[in-house]
Amino acid sequence: MSIHTLALALALTAMAGTAFAQSAPPTLRVELAADPANPAAPKMGDRLLFHSTIRNTGATPAPGVLAWVGLVQVDPGQEQPVDLEDWSAHKAITVKLVAPGESVTTDWPMRLIAAGHYRVVVTAASGEAALTPSPFVDLAIRQKPVVESNRVLPVALGVPALLLGGLLLRRRHTGGST
Amino acid sequence: MNAVGLLARKEAGELLLSSRGLGWLLAVSVVLSGFGLLLIGSQELSLLDNAQVVYDMLGIVTGLGALLAVAAGADAIAGERERGSLLPLLLAPIPRGGLLLGKIAGQAAAWAVMLVLAMPYLWAVGSTGQNMIGGGIALVLLGTPVALGFGFLALGLGARLGSSRGTLMPCLILLLLSASPLLLGPSLRQSAIGVAFDTVNPFSAALNAYDAVVIDGQGAASQVWHGLVALIWLAGTAAFAGVGIHRLRH
Repeated sequence: MSIHTLALALALTAMAGTAFAQSAPPTLRVELAADPANPAAPKMGDRLLFHSTIRNTGATPAPGVLAWVGLVQVDPGQEQPVDLEDWSAHKAITVKLVAPGESVTTDWPMRLIAAGHYRVVVTAASGEAALTPSPFVDLAIRQKPVVESNRVLPVALGVPALLLGGLLLRRRHTGGST
Repeated sequence: MNAVGLLARKEAGELLLSSRGLGWLLAVSVVLSGFGLLLIGSQELSLLDNAQVVYDMLGIVTGLGALLAVAAGADAIAGERERGSLLPLLLAPIPRGGLLLGKIAGQAAAWAVMLVLAMPYLWAVGSTGQNMIGGGIALVLLGTPVALGFGFLALGLGARLGSSRGTLMPCLILLLLSASPLLLGPSLRQSAIGVAFDTVNPFSAALNAYDAVVIDGQGAASQVWHGLVALIWLAGTAAFAGVGIHRLRH
């Protein structure tokens, strides 16, 4: 093999490598974390915040990246995806282009509507990148008592009972007349 | 004790110490108890702030107070006429203004007892204690003129119509209309008609003041406009009742 042939082979190999790199689909990586300020034991009505980072770890740009937040309930017997209608007004984002090595950070506020055990996930996809979910963030939401039954019950039952007793006593004293 | 004081005492006694009066208070307590028990059982309500529950309770107490005032006011003159006791009352050495004062004083006493009755319920549902004292003050300052205004209205109408049943119907309809903001939240009253209705409706004034004080945490003293609407309502209905009593014939 002459030196010219070798140079040509090397050049062709390099060109093929470049072409492969340009045609390889972009690769997204999604990370999700709860805000450190979120309550440790959240209850219904609390507002939590989650942060996601979508990074293009590939060598080609990712155009038209779409990311959305999802929530699944995982209580035994009640496993279901949750309609985020009341939970979050911020359900999805779109990014025109995520360049190689670039990352996009998004905040996902969420109001806790129902008690139970949940897993939060942010999923990203584009026309070219594969569907990429983040790791789950687990969430245990406590019931929020609006009123305390140990305060309401004695009053709700006791006051009418007292008045009824007074009324009966009054009727006994007056012989039933008003 | 002068004649007006004696009349007020008699009215208050009939409203509070008689079997009928105790029955009224029992009915009021059952309504408040039912509301409290419903709050415990409802999961949907768990999203509400506790302050919202206190606000609802204040509105219900005001509505019940106005209802009691309407019933007592309708009976005050028209009922006396139907029982045949109006003539001796008019012949008693009490000026017509004193008669009105004595009658409304009895209702005021009944309202005061209702306020006392409502306090344990407010404590029971107000588990976080948020703006409870301010809410109580707003209830006294705004709820009193609203409730007594309905008493004056029924009293004045009863003096004109001479029939307690005929008095009750229009008063109850007006009370239902006036208290409709209890069912229609602020977002449903944002139209021009809703805003105009809220501006002149004393019940809306009281509810908006409760909202501002209990939910928004504003001071009761900042509710001057709402208080003014309630006072205008009280003064207007008092004048209406006063004219009606002065025109009473044997």
